[in-house]
Amino acid sequence: MAVPISQMYTVATYVLSQKFKGVKRYPLVLMLEPLFRCNLACAGCGKIQYPDHILDKRLTPEQCWAAAEECGAPMVSIPGGEPLIHPEIATIVQGLVDRKKYIYLCTNAILLERKLDEYKPSKYLTFSVHMDGLKDEHDLAVCRDGVYDVAVKAIKAAVKRGHRVTTNTTLFDDANPERVRKFFDEMMALGVEGMTISPGYSYQKAPDQQHFLKRTRTQELFSKILAQPKSGWQFNQSPLFLDFLMGQRQYQCTPWGNPTYNVFGWQKPCYLLQEGYVKTFRELMESTEWDHYGTGRNEKCADCMVHCGYEASAVEDTFSTVSGFARTAKLTLLPTSR
Amino acid sequence: MTDTKNHNAGEASSLEGQVFTPGSAAEIVEAIELAFDYRGDVTLKLRCGESVAGYIFNRQSADTDPYLELFPRDREDPRRILYRDIVAIAFTGEDTANGKSWEAWVSKKESERRAEAEKIETIARTKGYL
Repeated sequence: MAVPISQMYTVATYVLSQKFKGVKRYPLVLMLEPLFRCNLACAGCGKIQYPDHILDKRLTPEQCWAAAEECGAPMVSIPGGEPLIHPEIATIVQGLVDRKKYIYLCTNAILLERKLDEYKPSKYLTFSVHMDGLKDEHDLAVCRDGVYDVAVKAIKAAVKRGHRVTTNTTLFDDANPERVRKFFDEMMALGVEGMTISPGYSYQKAPDQQHFLKRTRTQELFSKILAQPKSGWQFNQSPLFLDFLMGQRQYQCTPWGNPTYNVFGWQKPCYLLQEGYVKTFRELMESTEWDHYGTGRNEKCADCMVHCGYEASAVEDTFSTVSGFARTAKLTLLPTSR
Repeated sequence: MTDTKNHNAGEASSLEGQVFTPGSAAEIVEAIELAFDYRGDVTLKLRCGESVAGYIFNRQSADTDPYLELFPRDREDPRRILYRDIVAIAFTGEDTANGKSWEAWVSKKESERRAEAEKIETIARTKGYL
């Protein structure tokens, strides 16, 4: 089982408590971006397209903890930029662990092995290592040779020390399904707890706008990749989200499911679109015109199938419908039954 | 004017170096939307004669007194500027995404790609990020 029972229990009780309280919109994962600076410059990434003085800005630990408390989501994903560049990231993480948040610290792993001493293994902390494919594909995607080997070495070291480690993979329209399946085999052989996958992020400010997957192509690609899954594969994400990527379930976006906080404030409306910023989480929830976003509602959302919009929809399906719950249970217990 | 206008990221679409002198409230809104989408610093010329260079990260064009927020290049804290105080907007900073598309990367010669990657790596190393 990819996700520990304690984490599943925490998320389940959180979602059910929101439902009992009658809360229509609730966050599931806080996307906390403590900086935009990265030590890579991947062509597909839109998070680093800023002037130097913006890339040099950092959230303080206190700002990060306050955002997590204000938001209240049980999980915190820390992307960036490269979070391990942040000089106080270990302090930030420890503060979130103290608050019993399940943290996914996203990293390209270039600095991971060197910094492992700063972290204590915890059920609350997962290193989510960016891996976009086998060596050739990954090094091409990150625009630097040798990064795959460094990341693999760091994953092994982190696993050996008892850390929770997952991989996060963004698939572009040139992905080869057979190579991706082989890549899954290699990642699981490293001893990672599970993998997360998502189609390319169509950031407005990403320089690579022509390369992101279109909806039909996304479904075709993921159907080929995930059909007849191998017994050793574990995915650290909702099985219904994988159904969605394969075109087997239809969802509307849940843009408030993964609210984003960074050096500009709370980002409207979601992790991908930057339509403005507000100072408080409450203001984000109350002032955003949520009905303006999602498939069929906004041209910018037309082809998006990214996890930050649709994984929360899949989780909602699990806890709102009998068929969703039954399907989730079946695929969790028997992942090869897909 | 939508965000998508500015997202082709081809060299020809960059606003870098252009200057807008809006003649009406509608033109100010339009120019500020472009500046909000721009991936570099802009320089605002204000009615009081002051020039402010920085990165526009937010704007409230629907406010009763519309304003934008930017991080000035030489200050830590953001600054709020009213639309009505703006005389001209110049796209003075480097367009940080221009010419860096995936296609451009793939189409480069191996030697060019290697040189570019090494340059980025050197910068990261110099700043202590590697």
